[in-house]
Amino acid sequence: MSGFLTRRILYGLMLMLGVVVLNFLLIRLAPGDPAVVIAGEMGGATEEMLESIREEYGLNEPVLVQLGIYLGNVIRGDLGESFFFNQPVAGLIAQRIGPTILLVITAQLLSILLGVFLGVLAARKPGGLMSAFVSVFATIGYAVPVFWTGIMLIILFASVFPIFPVEGMASVKLRDAPWYVQWADIAHHLILPAFTLAIIYLAQYARLSRASMLEVLGSDYIRTARAKGAAERTVLFRHALRNAALPILTVAGLQFGNLISGALLVETVFNWPGMGRLAFDSILRRDYPTIMGVLFFASAMVVVANILTDLSYRLADPRLRGRT
Amino acid sequence: MSGLENDNTLVAESPAREAWRMFRRNIPALVGLAILTVIVVLTLYGTLIYSGDPYEIVWAPHEPPGVTPEFPLGTDYLGRNIVAGILAGGGPTLAVGAAAAAITMVIGISLGALAGYFGGWVDNLLMRITEFFQVLPALLFAMVLVTLFSPSLWTIAIAIGVVSWPQTARLTRAEFLKIKELEYVTAARAIGAKNGRIMWRVILPNAAPPLIVSATLTIGVAILFEAGLSFLGLGDPNVMSWGLMIGANREYILDAWWPVTFPGLAIFLTVFSVSLIGDGLNDAFNPKLRER
Amino acid sequence: MSLLEIEDLRVTFSTRHGVVTALDGVSLSLEAGETLAVVGESGCGKSITALSTMGLIPMPPGRIAGGAIRLAGEDLTRASDARLRAMRGAEIAMIFQEPMTSLNPVFTVGHQIAEAILLHQTVSRDQAWRDAVALLDRVGIPSPDARARDYPHQLSGGMRQRVMIAMAVSCRPKVLIADEPTTALDVTVQAQIFDLLNEIQHDFGAAVLLITHDMGAVSEMADRVAVMYAGRVIETGQADDVLDHSRHPYTQGLIDCIPSVDHGGALREIPGVVPPLHLLGAGCAFAERCDHARDQCRSAKPGLRETGGHLAACHGAAEGWL
Repeated sequence: MSGFLTRRILYGLMLMLGVVVLNFLLIRLAPGDPAVVIAGEMGGATEEMLESIREEYGLNEPVLVQLGIYLGNVIRGDLGESFFFNQPVAGLIAQRIGPTILLVITAQLLSILLGVFLGVLAARKPGGLMSAFVSVFATIGYAVPVFWTGIMLIILFASVFPIFPVEGMASVKLRDAPWYVQWADIAHHLILPAFTLAIIYLAQYARLSRASMLEVLGSDYIRTARAKGAAERTVLFRHALRNAALPILTVAGLQFGNLISGALLVETVFNWPGMGRLAFDSILRRDYPTIMGVLFFASAMVVVANILTDLSYRLADPRLRGRT
Repeated sequence: MSGLENDNTLVAESPAREAWRMFRRNIPALVGLAILTVIVVLTLYGTLIYSGDPYEIVWAPHEPPGVTPEFPLGTDYLGRNIVAGILAGGGPTLAVGAAAAAITMVIGISLGALAGYFGGWVDNLLMRITEFFQVLPALLFAMVLVTLFSPSLWTIAIAIGVVSWPQTARLTRAEFLKIKELEYVTAARAIGAKNGRIMWRVILPNAAPPLIVSATLTIGVAILFEAGLSFLGLGDPNVMSWGLMIGANREYILDAWWPVTFPGLAIFLTVFSVSLIGDGLNDAFNPKLRER
Repeated sequence: MSLLEIEDLRVTFSTRHGVVTALDGVSLSLEAGETLAVVGESGCGKSITALSTMGLIPMPPGRIAGGAIRLAGEDLTRASDARLRAMRGAEIAMIFQEPMTSLNPVFTVGHQIAEAILLHQTVSRDQAWRDAVALLDRVGIPSPDARARDYPHQLSGGMRQRVMIAMAVSCRPKVLIADEPTTALDVTVQAQIFDLLNEIQHDFGAAVLLITHDMGAVSEMADRVAVMYAGRVIETGQADDVLDHSRHPYTQGLIDCIPSVDHGGALREIPGVVPPLHLLGAGCAFAERCDHARDQCRSAKPGLRETGGHLAACHGAAEGWL
């Protein structure tokens, strides 16, 4: 198990190294002077600034040396300087990564739990109403643009049922309130963005777990469980779901990257102060060091999520344990 | 297996015809086809019936829908005609979606086929590259590409293609791995067919059904992608599109719901119809799975 | 009164070809402590009989259209779901054909046995685990303490079937249904499993309903036998009597299929296949495959009649021309 984990982490680090090299190449492949690209078109950089950038990134050196300098910087945690915000990119992202993780993980849990629950209910009667609902809902959920869902929910909850805040992550007026009030406030703000993001994946998990459950419910060991005298609920949620969860876990791991892409749009719609919002702002300002930093950290989140998925897969399926 | 194929030739019905027969009986898929036909016809010829410059300010801002007969869906925050915008925005949205899906399929099928057919180190290398691309959050990566290389319809389509091919590559690889072991591939090799011929003329046609389904669904994803990029303001600034309409009117949603609602519905209906068709094709190619 | 009485049981299934009758008036009885073998080719209804008795027929598409299944006098076809659950595993238990797939891959075998115990007995989890280990020991699994912590994929087919047997007898059921318990196993392992079943039956005092297609298994295990064909019992009686003096041509065919030295080692089989249930006509279902069939056989279904010391459903046997 620990051998597997070590190899998995090493491979993850290799992938991250790839992301760094890609970032480096992208800046060089972009049309124009890399120093100007790095400074950002909005900045109106002076010749002195450009010169200091060339100095810092070694832009007058051969390309391989430049790559070496860049890699060294990243390893030391230096992702460059945002010329728009006038502060280090790493620090900028550190402030924003928390809200993004909170949003993405809440949405992921919400979609998996609700989706699997709906899917299991649907699987109990393959030809029933619930099954039809899940199929239709999944097709609709897949086809709705996530940012549009968000906007529709804002319109609905801002004007028709004003029970959820539609913007930001915290109320300014609660800045001095005790911590639990602030936490509750964040949770309150989280509801709409998390639900918006969850809705697409919720539909997909419902369809997937319905199919997976139907397959598992036809297995011999389910008949064995019934022959023991287990109650239907036990059969569904203990014997069947544990097995049906395996393909769901696989998809959950693969979807994580898409979830982060979705979070980017949702953060923009709801003004959620996360990395997606930061990416959007910096792209409008052509603030490349920040954009590349966001790409780096978002990829790192996917890598970590993939490692966690692999681990949980091995925990859930005893047949995989012991293999490396 | 070969017995089954003989049966098929006896009935004298090609797999494609059989699939079409199945598809014709699938009501949701036909509904999808009908919706998509209407959308395509409207985006191609709508401007002939209903002429109007989508950029021109023609009326007071935020005219609600259904009040003035000339502007059945109302006007946006500048007083531009929403119907004209939707009709003009459909073409670019669909074109970018189709082009991006085509690019996705070309990259995905080429790499997947090479990996699946040759195996060994080729497979290993290509799959590592695929995994690498799956680590990059697609929309973010596409945003970076579009901004670096300045947005136009082509860069957008290419960017979407570059970020979405890994799934197609995996699917193609799996199909090639499966099919290359079958007798007729061995037979083709035995009569001296070259690798290229076996890959593209023997295996690929037999891998077509799942790839066609995947291509259909990819069009839907690509349209959503294009909409997302345009919504963020990263679309081609000189071209009207549904995503752009939503993005432009976003600030005023609490004053007027219609300028964002109708373009969104257009995106939804397009992707919805495409995915109904995709599901229908999937059922048509795999009749056995339908009973699930 | 017998321990288990199946009386005129009719089970139907709705299929694409309309409603078909899978069991057409099946009557069987099982006395405490005895072994009754139900024999027939696949599709004859023997497994449906077993599953009906367990209340495990999927409904829909299945339906019990008539008759009764009485366990110690209680009609299970009228019992509530809760009552059936309480009975399953406790009073009637079942061993399935496929030990490879009949155990849940994500739970340890000890856990799966202990679960059966906890479902029907008020004991602590620790006690249930200790009982499970003791049962594994009883069914001949070496180092049961360690094996109880294994997952099914870590055990061989024979070991898994022993686990299934341990699970089935964990609550000392009155009736043990064994559905082709050795079909999926190696020949050498088959004999071991039959020996184990015999021992277990002796120790636990359970009545065994053995479902099999193998007349060899019948001679080894059964006190009495019921031969089924196309959803009906076509011959039944004491096992020795039926094996030695079978009256129905189908039974004779099955007996001739037992590989033995007398037949010169060549495997024989009954020509033709069991007719699909939706194509059954008015006559004897076996008539199409029977060398002796007359017009009468194709027009009227024969009933079970006393002939030669036991019951057979054959016009020829009843009228003495066969």
